[in-house]
Amino acid sequence: MAEEPESGLQLPPSTVADGDGPTEVSPGTVTPEPPSSAAVSPGTEEPAGDSKKKIDILLKAVGDTPIMKTKKWAVERTRTIQGLIDFIKKFLKLVASEQLFIYVNQSFAPSPDQEVGTLYECFGSDGKLVLHYCKSQAWG
Amino acid sequence: MTDDKDVLRDVWFGRIPTCFTLYQDEITEREAEPYYLLLPRVSYLTLVTDKVKKHFQKVMRQEDISEMWFEYEGTPLKWHYPIGLLFDLLASSSALPWNITVHFKSFPEKDLLHCPSKDAVEAHFMSCVKEADALKHKSQVINEMQKKDHKQLWMGLQNDRFDQFWAINRKLMEYPAEENGFRYIPFKIYQTETEKWRGEKIERKGDTCSTAPLLVKLETGQTVD
Repeated sequence: MAEEPESGLQLPPSTVADGDGPTEVSPGTVTPEPPSSAAVSPGTEEPAGDSKKKIDILLKAVGDTPIMKTKKWAVERTRTIQGLIDFIKKFLKLVASEQLFIYVNQSFAPSPDQEVGTLYECFGSDGKLVLHYCKSQAWG
Repeated sequence: MTDDKDVLRDVWFGRIPTCFTLYQDEITEREAEPYYLLLPRVSYLTLVTDKVKKHFQKVMRQEDISEMWFEYEGTPLKWHYPIGLLFDLLASSSALPWNITVHFKSFPEKDLLHCPSKDAVEAHFMSCVKEADALKHKSQVINEMQKKDHKQLWMGLQNDRFDQFWAINRKLMEYPAEENGFRYIPFKIYQTETEKWRGEKIERKGDTCSTAPLLVKLETGQTVD
């Protein structure tokens, strides 16, 4: 299977408000549970996302919102939408007062205190959760 | 759906007798009397407490007032949870009226979302409806509605108008005759220990819809097929 070309990038803890920051999936390092179902460790075949601590998120920009250089992230299940918003704003170097909206299924904006793990379970497909982000209300 | 009309009305018109008391450390120009209100279970705190705010602000100076927030026995109340849910989670075993403490200072940023206006409540409510329809109808029903239908749904809730609300909501609760139900049934489960919610979607297998897979998942944390 083709690995996505991504550079290993670990967020320094000080830039993140709550706990562990999202980490990128690196082709060089060995990740214990690969994102897609193809290559799995011998002996275990678990449905994607079931007992992993992190889930894969694909971030897509809407309209004239700046595009993230890295779009695919492995994120802790307990990370909240607000935490993700703060992370994206920092990554895009947006001012704190600027708003950022996140949408699921290009239709609804989950509440900021919702955990990405739960959203992944309900709305994830092909082993990932696709989220659209926008500086203005796109589907509000 | 028509058979359930009585149940729907009972749910809609459920009320919780509540006593609002100003937090003792708030600065007042004279004593603040408690304020009594019947809260609709299906609504949201910041939508139905304008009178509470007016009542207490009458005895306070403008400079001592910032965003109003509520607390029950030390727990800040999340306005984005329906009122009935908050009561059931936190106070259902206590005697009525539900005693809520009102604050105008020291907004608990870590526990509560800000509610800048009624538009925020509307946005949150509509997002919840859209999220549910994504599971029930792949968002087809909600997306085919006109903006005015969405508005009617919201106004029905805001103004406590059962018929106005259900004229639109019944479309969200319908499914084609050939199907026997929704493809996925949206659930939100709130746990009292951690006060977090888990969302689940229940897949309908065959003709009957069983909640058994959901129950197993909660107990063992494993998926059952």
